[in-house]
Amino acid sequence: MSVSEKVSLSDALSNVDVLDELTLPDEQPCIEAAPCSILYQANFDTNFEDRNGFVTGIAKYIEEATVHANLNELLEEGNDHAVMLYTWRCCSRAIPQPRSNEQPDRVHIYERTVQVLAPEVDKLLQFMYFQRKAIERFCGEVRRLCHAEKRRDFVSEAYLLTLGKFVNMFAVLDELKNMKSSVKNDYSTYRRAAQFLKVMSDSQSLQESQNLSMFLATQNKIRDTVKDALEKINGYEDLLADVVNICVHMFETKMYLTPSEKHMLVKVMGFGLFLMDSDACNINRLDQKKKIRLDRIDRIFKNLEVVPLFGDMQIAPFNYIKRSKHYDPSKWPLSSSPNPPSPQADLMVHLPQIREEHQNYISELARYSNEVTTTFKEAGSDSENRAVTELCLRGLQLLSSWCSVLTELCSWKLLHPTDHATNPRCPAEAEEYERATRYNYTSEEKFAMIEVIAMIKGLQVLMARMETVFADAARRSIYAELQDFVQLLLREPLRKAIKNKKDLIRSIVVSVRETCGDWARGCEPQLDPALRGKKDADASFAIKVPRRNVGPSSTQLYMVRTQLEALISDKSGGRRTLRKDLDAATLQQIETFHRQSFYWMYMLNLADSLAKCCDLSQLWYREFYLEMTMGRKVNKCTVRHQHNEECNDLITMEKRIQFPIEMSMPWILTDHILRSKEPAMMEYVLYPLDLYNDSAQYALTVFRKQFLYDEVEAEVNLCFDQFVYKLSELVYAHYKQLASSMLLDKRYRAECAARGASTGCGAGRYASLLRQRHVALLGRHVDLCALVAQRINADMHRALDAAVAKFEAGDITGVVELEGLIAVNRLCHKLLSRYLSLDEFEAILRESDHGVLAPYGRITLHVFWELNYDFLPNYCYNAATDRFVKCRGIQFAPVVQREKLQQFGHAMLWGSKQLSLAYSAQYAQYNGFVGPQHLHALVRLLGYQGVAVVVSELLGVARGLLHGTLAQFTRALAAAMPRHCKLPRYDYGSNGVLGYYHAQLTDIVQYPDARTELFHAFRELGNIILFCMLIEQALSQEEVTDLLHAAPFQNILPRPYTAEGEKLETKQKRLEAKYSALQIVQNVEKYGTAKQSQLSREGDLLTRERLCCGLSLFAVVLRRLRACLAAPQWPAPPAPPHHAPLHTDDTAEFHRLWSALQFLYCIPVGDTQFTVEELFGEGLHWAGCTIIALLGQQRRFEALDFCYHILRVQRVDGKDELVKGIPLKRMVDRIRRFQVLNSQIFSVLGRHLAADDERAGVEHVRCFPPPAATHHN
Amino acid sequence: MSQPPRETIQKQIQQDWANREYIEVITGSIKKITDFLNSFDMSCRSRLAALHEKLVSLERKIDYLEACVTKGETLT
Repeated sequence: MSVSEKVSLSDALSNVDVLDELTLPDEQPCIEAAPCSILYQANFDTNFEDRNGFVTGIAKYIEEATVHANLNELLEEGNDHAVMLYTWRCCSRAIPQPRSNEQPDRVHIYERTVQVLAPEVDKLLQFMYFQRKAIERFCGEVRRLCHAEKRRDFVSEAYLLTLGKFVNMFAVLDELKNMKSSVKNDYSTYRRAAQFLKVMSDSQSLQESQNLSMFLATQNKIRDTVKDALEKINGYEDLLADVVNICVHMFETKMYLTPSEKHMLVKVMGFGLFLMDSDACNINRLDQKKKIRLDRIDRIFKNLEVVPLFGDMQIAPFNYIKRSKHYDPSKWPLSSSPNPPSPQADLMVHLPQIREEHQNYISELARYSNEVTTTFKEAGSDSENRAVTELCLRGLQLLSSWCSVLTELCSWKLLHPTDHATNPRCPAEAEEYERATRYNYTSEEKFAMIEVIAMIKGLQVLMARMETVFADAARRSIYAELQDFVQLLLREPLRKAIKNKKDLIRSIVVSVRETCGDWARGCEPQLDPALRGKKDADASFAIKVPRRNVGPSSTQLYMVRTQLEALISDKSGGRRTLRKDLDAATLQQIETFHRQSFYWMYMLNLADSLAKCCDLSQLWYREFYLEMTMGRKVNKCTVRHQHNEECNDLITMEKRIQFPIEMSMPWILTDHILRSKEPAMMEYVLYPLDLYNDSAQYALTVFRKQFLYDEVEAEVNLCFDQFVYKLSELVYAHYKQLASSMLLDKRYRAECAARGASTGCGAGRYASLLRQRHVALLGRHVDLCALVAQRINADMHRALDAAVAKFEAGDITGVVELEGLIAVNRLCHKLLSRYLSLDEFEAILRESDHGVLAPYGRITLHVFWELNYDFLPNYCYNAATDRFVKCRGIQFAPVVQREKLQQFGHAMLWGSKQLSLAYSAQYAQYNGFVGPQHLHALVRLLGYQGVAVVVSELLGVARGLLHGTLAQFTRALAAAMPRHCKLPRYDYGSNGVLGYYHAQLTDIVQYPDARTELFHAFRELGNIILFCMLIEQALSQEEVTDLLHAAPFQNILPRPYTAEGEKLETKQKRLEAKYSALQIVQNVEKYGTAKQSQLSREGDLLTRERLCCGLSLFAVVLRRLRACLAAPQWPAPPAPPHHAPLHTDDTAEFHRLWSALQFLYCIPVGDTQFTVEELFGEGLHWAGCTIIALLGQQRRFEALDFCYHILRVQRVDGKDELVKGIPLKRMVDRIRRFQVLNSQIFSVLGRHLAADDERAGVEHVRCFPPPAATHHN
Repeated sequence: MSQPPRETIQKQIQQDWANREYIEVITGSIKKITDFLNSFDMSCRSRLAALHEKLVSLERKIDYLEACVTKGETLT
C-alpha cells in the first residue's frame, strides 16, 4: 500500500478488528505472568491543563484546579527527590582518601573528588531548596485555608487529599534523609575536598554549604520544620483534623485502589496526628470534642501495625503517636498492647479468604470471557456495560487487596526480624537482612506467599487479556451514567432551584450540566420546561441522551465531583448548608453518584491501574538494608556498640555491594519450591521469578537507575542458571524414579512398601513447565524447554556412562544389572521424550559404550576381558544347575584387577536411595554364578556382532590352549604312557584288572602336574566349548521369541482347534481374514508407495529367514577346533581312515591318553579332599570328549577305555575290595557316572557334527517355522 | 473577558467529547494492534522454538551419523 493512498477511518478500524481473526497458536500453557514485548499505555491525565476550557464552571473550583496542578507538580518533584535519596549509594567509600598532607597527589585526588561529587552534591542542594519551597507552599495553603473567613467554608475532598499527600511526602522525605548516612558521608567528603581546594570562595556559597551540612546532619529536620511552621498558624489543627478524618473515612469505606494509596492514608493519619499534637493543641481533647475519632484510628493502626514507607523501608505509624507530646496509652488500647499481634503478621489467616475470592472471581471472569470470545457484539447495553465495569473494578480491588496483604506481611517481617532464639534454623551469626528475609518465613508462609503471588499474577494475565473489552465497557458505561445523571437526573433539582429561586444551587447545577453535558443537538434543549421551573406537561418532554465510547476528561471529572460535593457538603462557610435545600431523594442520588464516580478515574486509566494493583517490585528492593549494613557483615562484630567506619572489632570485613541471592525474596520463594519439590507448587515456580521483572521494570521506569537494573539483571542471570540447573535435576530424577518404579516388580514393590521402604515415585507436575518455550525474563524470552532438554540430554549420556562404568567395575555377572540399568534408562528416555527433544536412545547408548568409532564397544571388551581373565580360569560348569560356578574357597587364577568403582548419584543409577536398595537386593541374586539369565542378557546386549567378536576371540584362546599348554602336556604324557596296554581278560576279575591298569598307568597317576595344571587347561578349553554352546542356545531362544512376536504380522497363525466335522482350512481362512489388518506386507502393498512396499517385503524376508540357513554357531566353533586339531602343532593327529587296522593295544592315540586321565580322575578321593567334579566341573569332560569326537576316536574310546573295561568286568563279578588303596566299588560307581556323562556329551556333539557334515558342501535353505503350541485334539 | 454565548460553549464541549471519543477509538485500536503484535510475537517465538529444536536435533543426528560412517578417520 503506497503512502499516498488514503484509508478511511472505518476501513482502518475494520482492519484492526480483522487482526482478531488471525489465529496465533501458542502451545505453551500459561503459567507465568503477563509477558509483553510491547507495552502500550495511553495517559490522558492532563493535570488540569485544560481547566480554562470549562469557562462555565464555578470560578472558585477552576482556581482550585490551578492550585491542584501546582501542588501535583510539587508532589511529583518530591517523589523524584525521594527516589534520589532512596537509591543513593555511598560514593565516598569508593573514593581514595589522602593519607597525609604530604601525599604528593592529594591535590589531584581532591580535584577529582570535587569533580565526581559535584553533580551529586548539586542534587542534595536542590533537595534542600525543594523541601524549603514545599514546606513554604504547604504552610501557605494551610494558612489560606485556616484563615478566619475561609475556615468555615467547604474544602473539597480532593483538596484535603492533596494536603494529605503533602503530609505523607514530608514524612517520607524526612525518614529517608534520616536513614541515609551515606548521603552525609558523601557530602562531608565533598566538603573536605572543596574546602581544601577553596572551590567555594564567596560567602554566599559558603553559607549555603554550611546550611546544607546542617540540614543533612540534623535528624528529623523536615518534620520539625513543618511542625514549627504549622504551629504558628492559627487553627491549623482543625484543617489537619479534616485531613485525618477524610483519610479515616476513605480508609474505612475503601475509597482507594492501589496498595500504596491505602498505605498513604494510614501514614497521613499517623503523621497528621503527630503534627497536630503540640503545646497548643492536644489530640486527646480533640477526640473528646469529637473532632477526631481516636478509637477508629486505633483500630486501623492495630490492623496495620507496619506500612511500607518507601521501598524496603517501613514504618509503624503508631510510633508517631507514641512520640507525640500528649501520648496517652489508655486512648490507644489496641495499638499500645503487643497482644494479640497484628493480623498483618499472619498470612495464613488471610489465605482461605483469598483463595475463595480468587476462585469465585476467576469463575465469574471465565464465564464472561467465554461469552465475549464466542459472541461478537458491537457494544453491549448500558446494564451489560455497567456489569462488566463492576466486574473489572472488583477484579482490580481484589488484586490490590491481595497485593496489600503481601506487601504488608513483608513490611511487618522486615520490621520484626527473627533470631536464633525464636527460629532455631537461624544461625546465631546470621546477619540482619538474612534474619529479616531468609529465616523469617516458615515453609507454609513461603508457600502461601507463592500461592498469593501466583493468584495475583495469574489474574493479572487474565484481566490484561480482556483489557480492551473492559476499557471499552468502562468508557461506555461511565459516559452513559454521567450523561444520564447530568441530562436527566439533574433536571429535577434544577427545576426546583429555579422555581424556588435558590440561585446558588441553580448556578452549581447549571455549571455541572454545562461542564460536561454532551447534548444530542449540540446544546441544551431550550424547550425543556425544567429550565423555566415547570413540571413536564402531559405530553411528556423527552430528552434523548446520546451514547459514546469515551469517558470524561480528568479535569471534567474533577469539576463535576467537586461541584456536586459542594452541594451535598455539610459545611458551608457559615451559611446554612445547601443540603437543606435539596430533597432527600435527590440528595441520595447525588451522593450515590459522587461515591461511585470516585473509581472512574481508575477505570478510565485501566492499564495503569492494573499495573499498579499488581506491582510487587518492592519485594526485591533492599536499599535500606544495604545502607544499614554498609555492605558489610556487621554482625560479625564482637563488641556491642554503634559501628562506624573505623570499627576494629569486626572479624570479617566482607565488602560487598549486594546481598547474596539466598537472602533475596524472589529467589527464596523460587528456591523453596525447587527444594521442597512440592508438586502442587511446581507450576507456580515461574511466578516468583516474575518479581524480578517487576523490579527491573520499576528500576527502569520509576527509579530510572541503570545500576539498579544491572543489579537485578546480574541476580537474574545467577538465579536463572541455578533455576535451570535445579529444575533439570528435579525433572531427571523424577522421571528416573518413575521409570525405575515402573520396571520394578509390583509384588516386590508392595513388599518393599510394607517394610517401610517406599520405592514408589512421588507426584511430579513438570509437564507444563517442560512446555515453556518462551519464558519472559527482563525483556528476554528464554526457551526453558530447550535449556532443560540440553541438560537432561547430558544427564542421559552420563547415566548410561555410569551404567557401563558400573559394569566395568564388576565381574561378568553384572551383565544382568547392566541390562536392567539400560532398560530403566530407556524407559526414562521414552517418558521424557514426550516433552523434550532428546538424542535417540540407541545413539546415546552406543556413544556411552564407545561403539560409534570402534567396531565394538566397552561392554563387549569388558565381557571378553572378564571371560578371559575371570570366567575361563575360575568357573566350573555344572550341568545339573546349568550354571557355571566358582570353586568354593579356591581362586585358581590371580585376582583380576578392575577399574575402581566410581561413586554415582542416585539419579544417575536407579533414581533414589530406596530404589537403589531394592534393585541391588534384586540383582544380588544374580551374583556368584553364570547361568542362562546372564547368557541371555549377554546375547541381548552384545547382539550378533558382539557375540561373534567374543566367540572368535575365545576360539583364539582355545587354539592357544590346544597348541600350547595342552600340546605340551599331551606330548609329555604320551611319553609316560606304556607302549602297550591291553584289555585284560575277565578271568583276572575286576580287582585284577584294576590292579593291572594301576600298575600300567602308574606314571600317569603319579604325574604331579595333572591336577594342578593339566586338568585346569582342559577345564578352560571345556569352558570355552560350553560357553559357545550355551550362548548359541540363548541366541536361538532370543531369535525364536522375536519370530513369535513377528508371527502374527506375517500371517503365521497357530493351528486352530477343530472339533469333529469341522474343516481346518475354513477355520484357518477365517482366522486369516480376521487378522488380515495385521499383515504388514499386504497392507503396505495396498496403501503404500512402491518403495515402501519394497522395504516392507525386504524387512519381512529378513525376519523370516533369520534362522533359515539353520546356521549354527556351535557347529562353526567345532569345525574351527577340528582345524586346530588337524594342524601340525597338535601332537596327536586324527585317526587314520576307518579301514586301517585297529591296534587295540597301541597307546599312541589321544583317546588312550584320555583313558589314562579318566582312570586318574575316576580314582575316588578321601572325604577331606576336593573331588574332581568340585575342582573342574564338567568342562574337563567336555574338553576331552570334544577332542576325541573331533579326532573321530569316539568309538575306539568307548570300546577300549580302561575304566569302561573295569566297569564291564566288575558288572560280571560284582567284586568290591581295596586294590592298592582304591575302593573298587566306589571307583566303579564313579566310572558309571562319568560314562553316562561322556555319552551325553558325545551325543550332543554328535548331533552338531552330524548336522555340520550333512551341510558340508551345499547350504540347505530351510525355513524353520516358529514353534507352535502343541495341539491336542 | 466577555464570555461567548452559552450555546457556543456547549457546542465546543460537545465537540470536545467528539474529539476525545475519536482519540479514544484510535488509542483503543493502537492498543489492539499492540495486543496483536504481542500475541504474534509469542506465537512466532513458540513456533521458532519448535523449529529450532528440530534443527538442533537434526544437527546432532548428522554429527552422530557422520561419526558412525567415518569410523575412526579424522573428522573435518
